[in-house]
Amino acid sequence: MDERVYDLIFICRPATPEDEVNKIVTTLEHSVAEHGGKIEKMERWGTRRLAYRVAKHREGFFVYMVVKSTQGDLIKELERRLKVSDPVIKYQTIRLDEELKRQQKLSKHRERRASRRPRKQAPGAPPAPAPPQPQQVPAAAAE
Amino acid sequence: MSDQPVPPAAPPSAPETPAPARSEGHGHGGGGGGGRRPEGGHSSGPRREGGGPGGPGGGPGGPRRGGKRQYFRKKKVCRFCVDHVDFIDYKKVDMLQPFVQERGKILPRRMTGTCSRHQRWLGEAIKRARNIALLPFATEL
Repeated sequence: MDERVYDLIFICRPATPEDEVNKIVTTLEHSVAEHGGKIEKMERWGTRRLAYRVAKHREGFFVYMVVKSTQGDLIKELERRLKVSDPVIKYQTIRLDEELKRQQKLSKHRERRASRRPRKQAPGAPPAPAPPQPQQVPAAAAE
Repeated sequence: MSDQPVPPAAPPSAPETPAPARSEGHGHGGGGGGGRRPEGGHSSGPRREGGGPGGPGGGPGGPRRGGKRQYFRKKKVCRFCVDHVDFIDYKKVDMLQPFVQERGKILPRRMTGTCSRHQRWLGEAIKRARNIALLPFATEL
C-alpha cells in the first residue's frame, strides 16, 4: 500500500494540565512507531475558542499533527486511543494524500503552462508555429 | 424627462420655430427610445434579476444607451483562481471566514463569485473545519 498522509487534530479540555497532554502525545507517538508510521509534524495550537460548545466547553486545547503511514490500522488505533482518553473532547483524522497529490499535479501543470505562455505571446500567431521555436531555443542554448 | 411634455405642446406653439426644432430633435430621440426601452426593461428585468427593476428603473437610460445590458454589474472573479490556489486548507480559518455568513452558512457562488471547482473545495474545507469546531454549524446565541 502506498504511503498515506493524514491530518490528525484533537482537542483537550481547556483545564487539562500540560503533562496530561504530553502523555497523550507520547502514547500516540508510541502507537505510530509500533505501526511503522511517522509523525511528520506536531503543532500545539494552544487554547482556542471553539466555534460551538463541545462537551460543555467553549474553549479547547488544540493539538495538530501530520501522520504518515502505510497501514490504515494505525488510524484505527490512534482514534481508539483518543476516544478512550478522558481529556480529549474531540478529534478528527483526515486523509490528505490524494488532495496533496492533486495539488502537486495542478501546480506542476500551472508551471508548465506558465513557461509555455510567454513563447505563445511573442509571435501572436496560432499555436502551431509556437512549438518549433522552443525547440530552437534550447538547441541554440546548447550550442 | 422635460422634453417629453414639450412635443405635444409643440404644434400649437409653431411660431416659435427655433425652440420646437430643438425640442423635437430631443423629443423624438427620447420618445422613441422611451417607447421601446421600458418594454425591454420589463420583459427582461424580472427574469434576470428578481428585485432589480424597481430601483434602476429611472436610471437605466445611461446603461441602455451604452448597450444591451441593462444593469451593469462588475463581473466577479474567483478569488482562489486569482491567487492560483490549488488546495484550500481547512485549518486556515481566516481564509474560510469570508465565505461563511455570520451564522455559519456557506455563501453561495452567486454572492462570492467563486468558480465551481473552488466552491466545491471550499465547501469541503468549511465542512471539515466545522467538524473540528473551527467554524460553527450554526451560532447558538
